[in-house]
Amino acid sequence: MVFYLRRIAFYLVTLWAAISLNFLLPRMMPGDPAAIMIGKLRRASGGRELSEETVKAIYALLGADKSVPVWDQYLAYWGRLLSGDLGISSTRYPYPVATLIGNALPWTLLMVGAATVISFVLGIMVGAWVGWKRGTWLDHLVPATSLLQSIPYFWLALVLVAAFSVQLRWLPIVGAYDVFKFPSGPEWSWEFALSALYHAFLPALTIVISSVGGWLLGMRNMMVSTMSEDYVLTAEAKGLRPGRIRDRYAARNAAIPSLAGFSIALGFVVAGSIVTEQVFSYPGIGKLMIQSVQGLDYALMQGVFLVITLTVLAANFLMDLFYGLIDPRVRSHG
Amino acid sequence: MKRIPFVVAAGAVAVSMVLTACTTTPPTPTASASASGSTAPKASVLRVWAGSSTPITVDFNPFHVDTALFGTYGPIYEPLFFYNQLSADPPTPMLGETFSYSADGRAVTIKIKPNVKWSDGEPLTADDVVFTLGYGPNKTDKMISATATDTTTVEVKYSTPQFTNESQLLGATMIVPKHVWSKISSYMKETNPKPVGSGAYTVKTTSDASYTFTANPNYRDGAPPISDVQYLGLDSNQSGQDMLTTGQIDWTGMFVANPDTVTADGAISTMNQQQDPTVIVTCSDAAKGCKGAQTDPAVRQALNVAIDRPALAEKAWAGLVGEANPAFVLLPRDQQWLGDPSLAPSPQSPNAAQAGQILEAAGYAKNAKGFYAKDGKEVDLDLFSPDGWTDYNDAAKLIAEEAGKAGIKVTARTVSEAEYWTPVTNGDFQLAMYGLTQSLVADPFSNYDQYFYGKSTAKVGDAPTRGQNYSRYANPVVDAAVEAAGATNDPAAKKAEYAKIQAQISKDLPYIPVVLNASQAFFNTRGFTGWPTDDNLYADPLPYLSVAPAIVLLHLKPVA
Repeated sequence: MVFYLRRIAFYLVTLWAAISLNFLLPRMMPGDPAAIMIGKLRRASGGRELSEETVKAIYALLGADKSVPVWDQYLAYWGRLLSGDLGISSTRYPYPVATLIGNALPWTLLMVGAATVISFVLGIMVGAWVGWKRGTWLDHLVPATSLLQSIPYFWLALVLVAAFSVQLRWLPIVGAYDVFKFPSGPEWSWEFALSALYHAFLPALTIVISSVGGWLLGMRNMMVSTMSEDYVLTAEAKGLRPGRIRDRYAARNAAIPSLAGFSIALGFVVAGSIVTEQVFSYPGIGKLMIQSVQGLDYALMQGVFLVITLTVLAANFLMDLFYGLIDPRVRSHG
Repeated sequence: MKRIPFVVAAGAVAVSMVLTACTTTPPTPTASASASGSTAPKASVLRVWAGSSTPITVDFNPFHVDTALFGTYGPIYEPLFFYNQLSADPPTPMLGETFSYSADGRAVTIKIKPNVKWSDGEPLTADDVVFTLGYGPNKTDKMISATATDTTTVEVKYSTPQFTNESQLLGATMIVPKHVWSKISSYMKETNPKPVGSGAYTVKTTSDASYTFTANPNYRDGAPPISDVQYLGLDSNQSGQDMLTTGQIDWTGMFVANPDTVTADGAISTMNQQQDPTVIVTCSDAAKGCKGAQTDPAVRQALNVAIDRPALAEKAWAGLVGEANPAFVLLPRDQQWLGDPSLAPSPQSPNAAQAGQILEAAGYAKNAKGFYAKDGKEVDLDLFSPDGWTDYNDAAKLIAEEAGKAGIKVTARTVSEAEYWTPVTNGDFQLAMYGLTQSLVADPFSNYDQYFYGKSTAKVGDAPTRGQNYSRYANPVVDAAVEAAGATNDPAAKKAEYAKIQAQISKDLPYIPVVLNASQAFFNTRGFTGWPTDDNLYADPLPYLSVAPAIVLLHLKPVA
């Protein structure tokens, strides 16, 4: 019990620190969002004079923060946060940040989440197998997948699009679903779900290709070292079936370090995959993040960072508890 | 490959992300004729990528000049007249029929078309025009009154001559329905998801990946032949190019370094009308607080002759750009306004020797490192551009190299977009790569008024409240000439004033012209006919412009 209380207290302090940092970081960035918006408006209005009224309205909207003491801003920030108000985006004015994030989050969770899980499961399974068969030709899989991982993602994605979408036309070029068939957006139908799956395939594939090598390498090496442990030798001496030794004795223990890495990877799923979303025009959080940083959209930036922080912490917390469950050593020394 | 004029002309969603994607990929394979079933376009639906990025946030508010979706201006809301920026012809009537200015330019009488209806069936009358002119951002303290003398006539009175505001008033003011907008409390907060307009299209459906317009049954000339127009959101130019070559989009405007790969199949045609000047903007006036050697006109003049414009055009812009001129007129459109023909174009071959002579005459001498210096202070200039705008980044690097050859030390660096706009706006810079928006009518007045007029600037540290004179340039001769040109409607008198301006700005060079930016349009000529051609440039075929796309849409017909 003490173990769990300690963990919870630790996470509460971390949460407070993260949320406070989230408040401070955007304010340390250079540039003035009001100047950016006025500059854009001025260019967009093609020579029409911006009325005093408009300029004042923009400063009231984006620049007011400067006149209020930082401490008061900080308190107001907590107040809004606790009431669930993430503010209004300035780059996509007047849309609320919560709506923007709410629309993007499911796509990120489903596509990037599924790709991360697939990549992990695949990496662990193949890694265990390659480690089990160490010294055979299967060892070549390690450098091969590492090579795939070292290819710049941007380039890999563009090549796959050029080959499968443009040249062969097997797969769609962009989007999360067929925008020509569903011009009104997502709907609850099998046809739409199929279209979404079809569109998620290539983006997910690129993520898997570029990340599976890491899991595979880690698992394979742990597998090799676990197999030299005494309990594996004992199991062999007892005459257990090789398959049982591989799965229950070696792989199960070898996977523990990878699980820790997996919890971090899961947490970062929410950050989306900026480049994937860019190349495939796929909806997601990563895009919101980069657009908010470029447009100095503080509200959106904070909203996105908050969601990422919360998920990373939550994923770590769950994995901590899970770890305590599967590995008793952690509990007694923790 | 992103440039300012893209966004500028766009006047809509910030498309920065979209256009930053570089084109370093292997050439896109040419489309084969066998398109798969889902990609074959339906004949009467026209699919457009005007530059929107995803997620699309629905906004058809014509007063949101920055965030309104493409198509708000023209297809949905219309101005009174259409000013074709590619020609010097008189404007084409849209909602308006005729207009006339009083001799002193302080009164305008506008006659609108009779029996026009809004898309909701309500009649469109002079009352709506009067309401629009006095509404929201359209309000100006120079307007004394706007009155509807009958259902189709509007008289507007001003305190100052309004000749130069003609295209703003008649060509860029979107007429909105009084019965809708008088009930909207805050035009800044309104997103207007179901717009009631007078244009040929209304909104059919929207999502965060696309939005679709459908023909307006109440349109005054009858519903247009293209029944539906779907605007997509895409996040990279490469996607746009791929969609174009595979026949999934029919119309777009974007930079493609190798347009032949797109047009090879024969379905897609292209047009490249260079208009907007790409410049090096300098913080030019020390009296306004600018710091650095570029405040000396001699340094700017030396830089102007030191750069190799054809090499820049080839290396940074794939040879797709045009020649700029220091008089800031668009040739041949504005030929009649060019005072001294020797000003066009800007020097097209680098001349390090001449740059040296200019600097030496101004009291500079080369120091031990081979760079020019004056009074022991080396000329050391900082030139920046937004990171990822690869054409600007490449151009800046080349300019720095060429200036170095002429003994002028220029350091090129890239900054984030956020760090770009703030110093440019506030004057805290020396040199920056920048794009000016070409005057939208066949008269360079707005170029001079926006970028060179003393009242369009501000002291360093402040942002200008009117205009975009970020160079901090202030010259009494130019100011007087801008004011005089704005008060007259006599072409000869105007030309004389323009000549004075051109003589000054081509000598002072607060903006050093580099090239005229490419603006490439791509459109499907196999599925649709009626696109503008070189012989019939009835409108600029760039889908991100305001109003012009509506004119193009009305000319299009699906191929049976």
